[in-house]
Amino acid sequence: MPIFDGLGSGGEKTAIVIDLGAAYTKCGFAGETGPRFIIPSEIRKPGQQQATKVVQYNINTEELYAILKEFIHILYFRHLLVNPRDRRVVIIESILCPSHFRETLTKVFFKQFEVPSVLFAPSHLMAIMTLGINSALVMDCGYTETLVLPIYECTPILPAWEALPLGGKAIHKTCFVSDLQRGLQIQEAKFNLEGTAERPAPPPDVDYPLDGEKILHVKGSIRDSVMEILFEQDNEEKSVASMILDALVKCPIDTRKVLSENLVVIGGTAMLPGFLHRLLAEIRLLVEKPKYSDVLASKNFRIHSPPAKPSCTAWLGGAIFGALQDILGSRSVSRDHYNQTGRIPDWCCLSSPPPESFYEAGKTPPPLMKRAYSMEK
Amino acid sequence: MHAESFFFCCCLWKCVCVRRRSTVASLLRRRCANCFDCPCCMHTLSTRATNIPAPLADDPTKTTMKKAYYLACGFCRWTSRDVGMADKSVASGGWQEPENPHAQRISKLIEYYQQLAHREKQERDRKKMARRRQCMPLAFSQHTIHVVEKYGLGTRLQRQRPGAPISALAGLSLKEGEDQKEITIEPAQALDEVEPLPEDCYTRPISLPEVTTLRQRLLQPDFQPAGASQLHPRHKHLLMKRSLRCRKCEHNLSKPEFNPTSIKFKIQLVAVSYIPEVRIMSIPNLRHTKESQVLLTLTNPVENVTHVTLAACEEEDPDDVNSTAKVLVPSKELVLAGKDAAAEYDELAEPQDFQDDPDIVAFRKSNKIGFFIKVIPQKEDDSDVTVTFRMRHDFRNLTAPVRPSEDGGDAAPEAIWLTHHVELRLGPLAP
Repeated sequence: MPIFDGLGSGGEKTAIVIDLGAAYTKCGFAGETGPRFIIPSEIRKPGQQQATKVVQYNINTEELYAILKEFIHILYFRHLLVNPRDRRVVIIESILCPSHFRETLTKVFFKQFEVPSVLFAPSHLMAIMTLGINSALVMDCGYTETLVLPIYECTPILPAWEALPLGGKAIHKTCFVSDLQRGLQIQEAKFNLEGTAERPAPPPDVDYPLDGEKILHVKGSIRDSVMEILFEQDNEEKSVASMILDALVKCPIDTRKVLSENLVVIGGTAMLPGFLHRLLAEIRLLVEKPKYSDVLASKNFRIHSPPAKPSCTAWLGGAIFGALQDILGSRSVSRDHYNQTGRIPDWCCLSSPPPESFYEAGKTPPPLMKRAYSMEK
Repeated sequence: MHAESFFFCCCLWKCVCVRRRSTVASLLRRRCANCFDCPCCMHTLSTRATNIPAPLADDPTKTTMKKAYYLACGFCRWTSRDVGMADKSVASGGWQEPENPHAQRISKLIEYYQQLAHREKQERDRKKMARRRQCMPLAFSQHTIHVVEKYGLGTRLQRQRPGAPISALAGLSLKEGEDQKEITIEPAQALDEVEPLPEDCYTRPISLPEVTTLRQRLLQPDFQPAGASQLHPRHKHLLMKRSLRCRKCEHNLSKPEFNPTSIKFKIQLVAVSYIPEVRIMSIPNLRHTKESQVLLTLTNPVENVTHVTLAACEEEDPDDVNSTAKVLVPSKELVLAGKDAAAEYDELAEPQDFQDDPDIVAFRKSNKIGFFIKVIPQKEDDSDVTVTFRMRHDFRNLTAPVRPSEDGGDAAPEAIWLTHHVELRLGPLAP
């Protein structure tokens, strides 16, 4: 932990880095080795038993505004203990985050808390910043969905994204991911109509105490088979492992070798014991199929291990970026700019003005797509 | 506008106001330096001492009793010995939090990227200077710089290469490049194989007390240990108080104090000290549809004379929800004398000369009067008889700043008439 919290290299206070995930939110300060707090992304209203989830995409703006306002308030004044007006904010987001959510979040930050500036950083790009490399195929296994995005020379190859709504909606610590052989056997047993295939012996049952009174009896067979949904191939033959190969196929030929040798897996679901091993094994199995072996020349797959837990890797990348005080200001959307234009630039929105026309004025930063993703060497 | 003050709720050590950059390390981490949290149940740990025999420094054969300290939780019986932390010989200050193993790599990465960022900033500044010179068309400069940024390799040679704007300032870049030392970083190496699950994972029964819960794990984001034998305690998190100002009038609403023990109650405009207080003094037997007299008292909390008028609630009064009886209140205005703090010591108090109607006013004593109201219970059920009426009194705001009037004298604060809804529960009907 840095000793001098308030002194950045440029004399500014260190920025706040927030990663709003569907299940958990990681928040902390830029330049540190890990988030200060990982808290569930939900708020509890007094009188309600169920906690309300913060990251919801289908509710109307006012409700979302109120929920986000309360959540960010808790983040600032219960956990981070800083004055919001002093520090810039770096928000790690998913590329597929709906614009409506982004705009409401920006409004909360600027209107309610009056932060000086906000930067939306894509999680996949930030993940490779923790490794010191420029190209990688990044897979984010989160709570609601798994998203694969290849990044070549610091530019995301946007047409090659792949997403599946398979995530860890329940991360249970006694579950694990079986290795390939057992996995195949279990799948066979499930789908085999004749019932001749035998299930491998399940692991022992576990008695899990709940609330001190009730005991949840978790059968061993549940423990190992529940993770198979991530690897079973559905009707379109898509699974978590096939997504990586599909993304590779969509990438330009020259980039495929580099990308396949630099796989990065981030996200909370990837922390399941045995996940990475199974993933690699599945990829190697699938690549032999004619669908892929005709197209992909290299069968060499290597995986990185970032200097942080997979659930915090994107956060760590954001923290490293947030520590670059020389350029953080120029790449963020400042409060003045937001007050003038009333909206935040988005990569999918063409109505943000191009940089050339405003360059003389020097006020508008160019759209995030062009500037924030490309990095100089 | 907002000053922050950190409150050490664990040991009340001190409350320090942070307006400028402070170098107190514990303050910057927002954690108490002395107190720890139990990693299992999140309560505060207490330091316990035991006596252990330890060899004397001079003579290894003799042993003497030395004090050793360890941390223990009074709630869940966790101790620091469970995770293998050695006992310390000092009571406080000996316990360290474990360091993140990747810290060095991360700081190297930050240094490397800061170097790149510095270069980008220099490019940007150079662009601005070049633009002012107006020696090239706009589109050309913008585009070429982007292209060079994207595909250049970051060595000093590359920077001098194509792009007319950069070569125009080549002399400048060479000099700067020589001064700096180039920081390069090893890119991370990818692994071919990942460790598989241990074989006994399929057959070994899990012992739940040894596995950490998700909540325990997430309290230590750097490590997230899966086994309970690796849970180390962390310093206790602080709470924060902040001062609030009204956005319109900048009045200070709440301000944190340096010392938590010196916090005084500062809110001055408390209703109790301005509104006359109504109390029930005696209730006779209440019978259904029979009129009875209830004795109430009215006390004046302010120091000047207050006039009170009572009125029955109207038919469609929205506040009038609970009344179960009709009430007849005195129609005349009641006058209350001001509260005189010295009255009880002053034996020669002058009798106050208020003409009181004996049917209405039962007694009068300094700033208090007793008066009668007539109650006719309407409902015959077992619930309490409730009466409601409205009380109107005059209020002078003596805390507001008095504006000097034009002729130089002090103007008396104006009386504002306030009306309140009063509800009294008189108890059940007499059997």
